[in-house]
Amino acid sequence: MDKDFNNRRRRELITAALFAALAAVVPLFVKDVYIQNIMVLTLMYAALSQAWNILSGYCGQISLGHALYFGLGAYTTALLFMKFGVLPWFGMLAGGVISAAIAMALGYPCFRLGGHYFSIATIVIAEIALVLFQNWDWAGAALGIDIPIRHDSWITFQFTRSKLPYFYFALVLACVAWLVTWWLEDSKWGYWWRAVKDNPSAAESLGVDVFNSKMGAAAVSAFLTAIGGSFYAQFVSYIDPESVMGFQFSLLMALPAVLGGIGTLWGPVLGAVILIPLTELTRSYIGGSGRGVDLIVYGLLIVLISLARPQGLVGLFSRPNPKKVVSR
Amino acid sequence: MTAETIIQSLASGLLMGLLYGLIAVGLALIFGLMDVVNFAHGEFLMSAMYATFFLFAFFSLDPLLSAPLVAAALFIFGALVYLFVVRFAVRAKANTGMVQIFSTFGLAIMMRGLAQFFFTPDYRSISHSWLGGKTISVAGIFLPEPQLVGALVAIAAFIGLYFFIHRTDFGRALEATREDAGAVALVGIDKNRVFALGWGLGAGLVGLAGAIMAVFFYIYPDVGASFALIAYVTVALGGFGSVFGAFAGGIIVGLVEATTAMILPPSLKSVGVYAVYLLVVFIRPRGLFGSM
Amino acid sequence: MTALLETRGITQRFSGLVANSDVSISVGRGEIVGLIGPNGAGKSTLFNLIAGVYTPSEGSIWFDGEDVTRLSPAARCRRGIGRTFQVVKSFESMSVIDNVIVGALVRTTVMREARRKAHEVLEFTGLGARAPVLASDLVPAEKRRLEVARALATEPKLLLLDEVLTGLTPTEAQTGVELVRRVRDTGVTVLMVEHVMEIVMPLVDRAIVLDLGKVLVEGKPTEVVRDPKVITAYLGDRHAVGA
Repeated sequence: MDKDFNNRRRRELITAALFAALAAVVPLFVKDVYIQNIMVLTLMYAALSQAWNILSGYCGQISLGHALYFGLGAYTTALLFMKFGVLPWFGMLAGGVISAAIAMALGYPCFRLGGHYFSIATIVIAEIALVLFQNWDWAGAALGIDIPIRHDSWITFQFTRSKLPYFYFALVLACVAWLVTWWLEDSKWGYWWRAVKDNPSAAESLGVDVFNSKMGAAAVSAFLTAIGGSFYAQFVSYIDPESVMGFQFSLLMALPAVLGGIGTLWGPVLGAVILIPLTELTRSYIGGSGRGVDLIVYGLLIVLISLARPQGLVGLFSRPNPKKVVSR
Repeated sequence: MTAETIIQSLASGLLMGLLYGLIAVGLALIFGLMDVVNFAHGEFLMSAMYATFFLFAFFSLDPLLSAPLVAAALFIFGALVYLFVVRFAVRAKANTGMVQIFSTFGLAIMMRGLAQFFFTPDYRSISHSWLGGKTISVAGIFLPEPQLVGALVAIAAFIGLYFFIHRTDFGRALEATREDAGAVALVGIDKNRVFALGWGLGAGLVGLAGAIMAVFFYIYPDVGASFALIAYVTVALGGFGSVFGAFAGGIIVGLVEATTAMILPPSLKSVGVYAVYLLVVFIRPRGLFGSM
Repeated sequence: MTALLETRGITQRFSGLVANSDVSISVGRGEIVGLIGPNGAGKSTLFNLIAGVYTPSEGSIWFDGEDVTRLSPAARCRRGIGRTFQVVKSFESMSVIDNVIVGALVRTTVMREARRKAHEVLEFTGLGARAPVLASDLVPAEKRRLEVARALATEPKLLLLDEVLTGLTPTEAQTGVELVRRVRDTGVTVLMVEHVMEIVMPLVDRAIVLDLGKVLVEGKPTEVVRDPKVITAYLGDRHAVGA
């Protein structure tokens, strides 16, 4: 059985590499800027949802306030760049570290809370941060921060003429998030997280340090999410509290994982690939009138998918149930 | 700031808190019944407000009169939501928590889209209602009449709910299903009927709140979102599973909100409520009166 | 030689209710000890105290010469106390082998090692063929065995079995008894709470009877069963109220 296991792991890696390679060449054929934009966003959401999935999917701590870390990443990068001239690359790292630290600090009181209390605490904390940023003049308050683009450069991570560099960065980010998840799946952490999710008291009786497990998941998740936020700041060149820390955004980060398959390796990617283009396209083609038809379609889709396939769409591609297979 | 203005603020806060309690109790009822957080609760409120508005606009029906009608309409709507959406959500064997959250969340988005589609994003308000804009002086404190009536309605609703749950057969069936949904089938109680009626009741209560609030709040497609979070916090503060907790939570939230508004700039008024929520659950992880 | 497990004057109160009163027991290395008694005797409470789920109101717990009274369940597991749960707590979303790997990870962080260990334990408990199956798809008797397998993977010195033989068919129960014997043969000490007398008495070396939170009697199973105090405790319990 060990051989089967190793084969499966290798297959996952190869599949991922193939998808990545495929994605890498797509922009060479698709020149439409609008579609390229959708692709960048898709990759970004794939990365973000994968990061969210680590804490909420694998470890079972459902966070509905992850926009906090996204926003912290975005603001750290933007502020360090605008106020101190720190390059976004360092800003990104700083944002990641700060977010991980805050995630762990919040973990102390929050991980004692169960289920819904925890989720609502995450919403509330993100809202407090949102309101604080809206009133923080040094950080631009409600008007946010505008990052003027001077010239195309990888050093300052700004590009005007083409979306391709952003695309490739987002692709790398999505791959990193996937790889981290893949690696963690077959590690002590991965097993501990799933045990904690399924039954914390049983996990404890088996020597699992429940609290530290949650902290670890929170730190990794927050770090990756913040990097996504930093990327976003450079990509759109303008951020404000509402767009990077809002509750709607927190839900948007969770949605691809939920639709694709929460707690699975491919779920977030699958969910992002389906949901983001769908969202953007319905918004453009149907939502233009401002009459909310795009919302109706979008909402209906979410209801239908979550009811029809609660384990996520990734279940459609899985192997037959092992119960029915005698030997593998 | 004089003692008078402080008392004034607290009094308004109390009234608003009772209304929050009314909104929250519907949520608490549904949650206590079947462990589902209705993420479309804000949109239930929004629909009630719109219904009230249109009854006023087309039939010149004052909100005070249309409130029972709106509550009844929301009751039916709530039951339908259960029967056609939530019933399938709780059947999910995997990830039930997530399915519930996102299926009702999807419903919320749909409802907002529908509101936008049918009513446009324009802000509406009810111009001449019996209570709108009037204040009444009670022991030297000026209380806005709509909020005062709202608070009284809320109290009446709570008392009514109490008697309903503890004295009627259906109410007892509700409690029994709350305790053990699987076992009630053994005594001939149809779980689905109880759940549907529970949803109806929860929706009806928030419908009542919406009808009153339509008198003094602007009505627009996204209005539900701002109250939804307060409702969740109120229920969690009071403790999931406790109807009384929602009531008490509402009062606390209303008072905290009013107090915060006196100290901090108005844009920060919800921060006080959030901070109190965090404080309470960090000390009592199950809320003030929670059992789950 | 010092006993492997010792409880010294354990008293446990839950808001006014005294669940255990001055309970002092000991379990020697290599023994299979049965903890029996009528409903409400305080067996589960004592079990949970030994496992670390509660901290005793009074008294101390000594394991392998160390005072473990204040240690968490996870810390106790690391020291060598493994346990099963009366109401089975499998990791439902994980496969059988993954369930056991969680236990194995206490002793090694090398995944290959943990997997190998898990396979061994599954074979030992007779669940080898069910390794890839999802825990939620197991039948109840198999889930019980999984509980034991998981705990065994943590390489315990003392295994606490919470009513593992209750509610099984006679055949299943016999298999269970065999398993417990084999566990002891590998050098693991066993403390088991049980209700099913006919099955447990031939299995254990020693029986400790609890009643109303106190130790009533202890000794060889054949003696304990004939003790008039024990008979009264069980018969009298038929007329007692509540649990």
